[in-house]
Amino acid sequence: METCIRLRGLTKHYDSGSTPTRAVDGIDLDVGPGEIVALLGPNGAGKTTTLDVVLGFTEATSGVVEVFGGPPREAVAAGRVSAVLQTGGLLRDLTVGETVELVASTYPATDPIPKILDRTGLTGLVDRQVQSCSGGEQQRLRFALALLADPDLLLLDEPTAGMDVEARRSFWAAMEDEADRGRTIVFATHYLQEAEDFARRTVLLAGGRIVADGPTDEVRRRASGRTVRARIGTDRIDRVADALRHLPSVVHLTTETDRLVVETSDSDDIARRLLGELGGSELEIEAASLETAFVNLTTRTPSVVGAS
Amino acid sequence: MNLTYYRLELRRLRRDYVTMFFTAGLPAFLYVIFGASPDYGDEPVRDGNVAMWIMIAMAGYGAVTATSGIGSMAAVERMQGWGRQLGLTPLSDVGYVRVKAATAITIAAIPIVLVYTIGAFTGAEAPRSVWIVSAAVLLVGATTFALYGLSFGLAFRSEAAGSAASGSLVVLSFLGNIFVPVSGWQLTLAKFTPLYGYVSLARRALTGGGTIDTDTGDLIEVPLWQPLANVVAWTAILAVAAVVLVARGRARQ
Repeated sequence: METCIRLRGLTKHYDSGSTPTRAVDGIDLDVGPGEIVALLGPNGAGKTTTLDVVLGFTEATSGVVEVFGGPPREAVAAGRVSAVLQTGGLLRDLTVGETVELVASTYPATDPIPKILDRTGLTGLVDRQVQSCSGGEQQRLRFALALLADPDLLLLDEPTAGMDVEARRSFWAAMEDEADRGRTIVFATHYLQEAEDFARRTVLLAGGRIVADGPTDEVRRRASGRTVRARIGTDRIDRVADALRHLPSVVHLTTETDRLVVETSDSDDIARRLLGELGGSELEIEAASLETAFVNLTTRTPSVVGAS
Repeated sequence: MNLTYYRLELRRLRRDYVTMFFTAGLPAFLYVIFGASPDYGDEPVRDGNVAMWIMIAMAGYGAVTATSGIGSMAAVERMQGWGRQLGLTPLSDVGYVRVKAATAITIAAIPIVLVYTIGAFTGAEAPRSVWIVSAAVLLVGATTFALYGLSFGLAFRSEAAGSAASGSLVVLSFLGNIFVPVSGWQLTLAKFTPLYGYVSLARRALTGGGTIDTDTGDLIEVPLWQPLANVVAWTAILAVAAVVLVARGRARQ
């Protein structure tokens, strides 16, 4: 099957002032049909720049960029790829209906407009001016515009930024439907929960590089393993801590009066030792949330990730 | 051309009553006050009269206000993200410019038609060919000032660009021999300002090349190359400014 996105050695540098910014610093990425991929990373990780390059909005400094086997602008002009952009992008004095009509007119053919309005929950808002729409409604409008050409690949840049909980939930519900229709979806986010809930694959970006790429649960597991907590008598806790600290599977260890907290890539081994010879009690084992993985991966060097 | 986009652009402008008033209503008002009402309006200028001379200027002022408004609006809306939204569609930059140019021409026609119609009923006089030729020159020449507005929009990067562009056109109209006739050193200065060539060429149909001497009321001969050079030079300057500012805007992104 045809690869949707193919990036090889992608770099993008900006010359701003005295020091050039390396927004993207060597990315290799393949996205196949039907995939749902989260580009996860903090601000400045290179998410938006990567999406801009895939849309042909900016030229790569170096590297290979192919969208459906060709240049990005061709894929855009053919309506095979579309996007929901982060901010702005709408004419405030047009109505919702006029905006859809205008963008639809740029394509040779589109899906029936009433159907798209219905799918994005905009039917009742057709006559409302864009400036009177809430942030969530405007985002649904951008979503509708992106669906007009029935694209095979949909890029979403922080699609739920500024939405309230309810709007966010219904947005992702609508996106699930699109994924079920076989659309390939790549979204940039720094809401970790969104990657966990929605993406089957997560690409973790930091400092313009990919620091982890794989199934979302595997990225999480590989990144930071589990956290083991236990109660140890205050008279013995320092000795127990010393016994564990040197083990290769222990990533991080803290103590607080009679509580011991161990971050480890081998929770079974640590649990066995704590309940056995080390005499711990009230043991808890917790899988790290993606939030923890995220903090670990983006604040430590990539070599630590590879070793765990 | 994308006719849907063109039609929606016109609908947007029709909703903007305030801008429409300043584009069409204000020049018409200025003509009535300075051209139609005073006694000097009946003074002859070759085969026409002074009212006609003022009418052409006011219509031209309205036309450039209209096109510069379109230009600055285009620049501002592109910078506020609409350019990126359109970048997701097959619409090319050329296609976009075509829609905006057609919109600008259409909007520029409104003050010209309005002022000329009022002029026809309030004593502006000239042979029919003068009416037609001057209106055509005003309409075509006004497109240059879309670049003027575009440059303001690109430089100011906000809605204030529109006010700055149209406000400066008022000043340039006084400096450029448009609102009031100037002579002597003021006329020399006027020849270097952007609106001078445009309105002078439109008036040429009436005056045959002269401008009114404020001291004697006679016509001062101005050779054709002067307004022509003015229009060519300012079109080039505005085009270069727009290109430079577009490049600067792109580098910042």
